[in-house]
Amino acid sequence: MIGVGKMKQYGNVLDKPLNKGKQEVSLSAFAFLFSELVQYNQTQVDNIGELERRLEDAGYAVGARVLELLCHRDKGNRRETRLLGILSFVHSTVWKVLFGKVADSLEKGTEHEDEYMISEKELLVNKFISIPKDMGTFNCGAFVAGIVRGVLDGAGFPAVVTAHFVPMEGQQRPRTTILIKFAEEVLRREARLG
Amino acid sequence: MAAIYSLYIINKSGGLIYYKDYGSAGRMDTNDSLRVASLWHSMHAISQQLSPVSGCLGIELLQADTFDLHCFQSLTGTKFFVVCEPGAQHMENLLKFVYELYTDYVLKNPFYEMEMPIRCELFDINLTQAVQKDRVAFLGR
Amino acid sequence: MARVAPRTGDAIFANVERVNAELFTLTYGAVVRQLLTDLEEVEEVNKQLDQMGYNIGIRLIDEFLAKSNVSRCNDFRETTDVIAKVGFKMFLGVTASVTNWDADGTCCSIVLEDNPLVDFVELPDNCQGLYYCNILSGVIRGALDMVSMKTEVTWLRDVLRGDDVFELQVKLLKHVPEEYPYKDDE
Repeated sequence: MIGVGKMKQYGNVLDKPLNKGKQEVSLSAFAFLFSELVQYNQTQVDNIGELERRLEDAGYAVGARVLELLCHRDKGNRRETRLLGILSFVHSTVWKVLFGKVADSLEKGTEHEDEYMISEKELLVNKFISIPKDMGTFNCGAFVAGIVRGVLDGAGFPAVVTAHFVPMEGQQRPRTTILIKFAEEVLRREARLG
Repeated sequence: MAAIYSLYIINKSGGLIYYKDYGSAGRMDTNDSLRVASLWHSMHAISQQLSPVSGCLGIELLQADTFDLHCFQSLTGTKFFVVCEPGAQHMENLLKFVYELYTDYVLKNPFYEMEMPIRCELFDINLTQAVQKDRVAFLGR
Repeated sequence: MARVAPRTGDAIFANVERVNAELFTLTYGAVVRQLLTDLEEVEEVNKQLDQMGYNIGIRLIDEFLAKSNVSRCNDFRETTDVIAKVGFKMFLGVTASVTNWDADGTCCSIVLEDNPLVDFVELPDNCQGLYYCNILSGVIRGALDMVSMKTEVTWLRDVLRGDDVFELQVKLLKHVPEEYPYKDDE
């Protein structure tokens, strides 16, 4: 993969101290950038499935980097080895850093042992986005699903992660659920660890 | 109670990109509203030329016996105007607020193509809330 | 109608919703990475970043106008001043400065020390021709285009290429105000 951040002979980026993560930009700046990311990807695909995949891939690299950054800065390089630990990390720490709040909820799937759901009334990335009727159930939160997959994969918990709109009774707008389906090896390991 | 009859947004070429009627008797069909928008666009431009000094920003308020029309044009040429009850207050603030809703829920929508008709659910939802609030505010007077 | 006074960059930034700059930085990194994978040629990526910036600029300008209450700028000096002091601050949370004016007052430099696009970034050897922040040049060009100013925006200095600051040259090519009757009327 083309590396942004590899060693260069005359740079001292690795010596630069990691900032504390307190710098901010306006939500608008992020929203415009994200909108353009979606628009660019629309020009590169023929169908909605491909658009979802490309957004997820874009998010994946972000997730991998977020994991490195947070493990080093916020967790003193401690590694999560248990399923609930890593889910809690995503739902609380990762969400707080990226979106300014912990996720609304974390639930275990009722129908399948390997499924967990992180839900949000409205994902930050979707705040200004209205999906046209002809795009069906498409959710730009695919980018966030990619971020989650990147974090989980990097931490040794491979999973399939997707974003879904879930209509809510009595609510005008559906909420978004990030569905995480862990690979078999993760569940086997979890069972072994007791 | 001061009421808002209708709201229009015109792009910088004079094309109607948004029209919302709030239950007035004068509700127009699509062709009429397009024509009216285009005419208003021209009138607005002519008014700038009628000005005795340069730098005129064009018609901001038009008063008739049965309605007032308030118009706001951004520096990018997009026009927001509202047809309301004569003497309705705070319409400039409403227009500015609609402008901000436009910059949020229309311009940040990756599925919105510039200069085209606005079909953004979030814009509709937030606009409806804003207009209702306006009506409610007047009730308290 | 009373004109509202223009607001400072700091005042606006304090009042808008803000997000962690890291989300922004990492997302931008993802954008650049996607372009490098899709287009491969660094020159093509530079062009695409500029185009994406332009697409953002033509939309961002209305939010800038709505929130800052600036009225029509009297000259190009005022325009670039407001971009540096208000524009950069309200969106990126950083202030830029304007220097190097030419005699005509149509060409100047906008200088940035802090740049949230480039945290943690280093250019690898095979990307030395990349203008990593080229989206910014497009944003400025697009924004000014929508208020009738055609400009040329180029990089003079780039921290990722070894300079100590980011310096963008902004050159006013022409003022093209839309006057009635418009050329596409019957």
